[in-house]
Amino acid sequence: MELLEEPAPPPSKRLKRLEPSIRIKAILSDDYSKDIPLVPAYSCQLESKQQLQIVIKELSQKLPHFQHLKRVNDRNVLLCPTSEIEDTLEQHLERLAFSEEVLQALLRQIQVVEVPSIGPRLRTQYEKMLKYWPCKFHPDHYYESLQNGSNFSATQRTFHNQMAQLLEKLSTEINSKQPVGICVDPRGPSIVAIAGSQMDSKNHEHCPMSLVDFVARSQKGGALTTTEQFVEEPGEKLSGIPKNYYEYLKGSDAFVHLLCGAEVSRQSSDPIAGTDNLSKYGPYLCTGYDVYLLQEPCLMCSMALVHSRAKRIFFLQTSDNGALLTRFQLHTVKELNHHYEVFQFTREQDIS
Amino acid sequence: MAAFMEDALVEARRARDAGEVPVGCVFVYGDKVIARGGNEVNVYRNATRHAEFICIDATLAYCREKHLPARQLFAEISVVVTVEPCIMCSAALHTLGVKEIIYGCENDRFGGKTVVDVAAVVGQRISIIGGVRGDEAMALLKEFYKGDNPSAPTLAKKKK
Repeated sequence: MELLEEPAPPPSKRLKRLEPSIRIKAILSDDYSKDIPLVPAYSCQLESKQQLQIVIKELSQKLPHFQHLKRVNDRNVLLCPTSEIEDTLEQHLERLAFSEEVLQALLRQIQVVEVPSIGPRLRTQYEKMLKYWPCKFHPDHYYESLQNGSNFSATQRTFHNQMAQLLEKLSTEINSKQPVGICVDPRGPSIVAIAGSQMDSKNHEHCPMSLVDFVARSQKGGALTTTEQFVEEPGEKLSGIPKNYYEYLKGSDAFVHLLCGAEVSRQSSDPIAGTDNLSKYGPYLCTGYDVYLLQEPCLMCSMALVHSRAKRIFFLQTSDNGALLTRFQLHTVKELNHHYEVFQFTREQDIS
Repeated sequence: MAAFMEDALVEARRARDAGEVPVGCVFVYGDKVIARGGNEVNVYRNATRHAEFICIDATLAYCREKHLPARQLFAEISVVVTVEPCIMCSAALHTLGVKEIIYGCENDRFGGKTVVDVAAVVGQRISIIGGVRGDEAMALLKEFYKGDNPSAPTLAKKKK
């Protein structure tokens, strides 16, 4: 609970050093985070490099394997995965009708080597794979930045950290240490809705479920009956924020400057210029919104946030039944029709 | 239990007539329907108001009214729903520990069995039977998605 407190005001030079002690870590799919599995493959060693051209030409036609690897490593040439061969390698190559010259070259100093089964997505994976066999690598700069944490600007990082602090404060000071969630329109950034789950809540009444309903309230919707009192202002701009949370924000030196309020539903359904659907069409469910949660959401809540089309999910604490990191990574299921990004606030020393 | 699929289909058609994705659900306790509902997503601007959740909330209200313990009651509930529950609903039903789920057609976009093995993630297995009058349930969905999709952003703002 102490971990997100602002550090005591240090000399200005030290602040820079202390700030990154909270890291915002992207939770990426296994394709990006895990080591790439290896497969055994046959390689041969050519007598001279002069043979390369003709050997590669025939190989690429007759044994078109390993598109993600370089076929040649010095004088060593990859033939095929060992699983490809049912009888002997020699018989297999003969059946493929290689020219006599190439066949002789390919059968020299046959070895079984371990090679990456798929191409690397990130530089860290690429570097690990190099010791096995040279790979092709086309870096994806956005994913590289997600992995090394350079995707957020200093201003964005400061705001995210502030939301993390706010979650802890709201939980301890307003919601009896129970989970809370905040939904933010990142264009402000402006707080659209805040919800906490109650001590006596039923099995399925978790804070993200209330949160998406409170967002709906800011769009002339909302289905849940709740005991919360909401901010009463003209229009529905603030109607996703319960009164007690709003009053806490406005009475707190640390958070009073935060913007609050949603863009109100538009009268016209015609799109206006914008880079994303939120800017083009205006608020619709949680499209384009960020969701900050004290606790990693369970599977039900994680899917509720998919249905709600949230843009990014940030959470502080893992949950035993969490479905974004602990038990499952719902956001990495390719079949789903919407994918949000997921980030966890971690302390520096938590990271290996 | 499969006989109750007719009740669920009635709710699905009602949802369709209200401009919602046509999915209907009933909760059966003993041999009696104690909760019924269709999707209410568009009317409340809340993407979680699926038919199953309408029934869960109605069941909780039923328990309060009758002074029955919800936990024990859910263990006796048969969920009869026209479409395979999505990952969210399936997770909720597994966590609540209902007795069984009987559904019509599969949900290959986000089904709680077809796309993700919800039981494995939640750590609880319950009996699930699919394919009960699935063609009728599927026909309703196909009919719906052929027309304008009212859940598209531009149309969602239209006032009645």
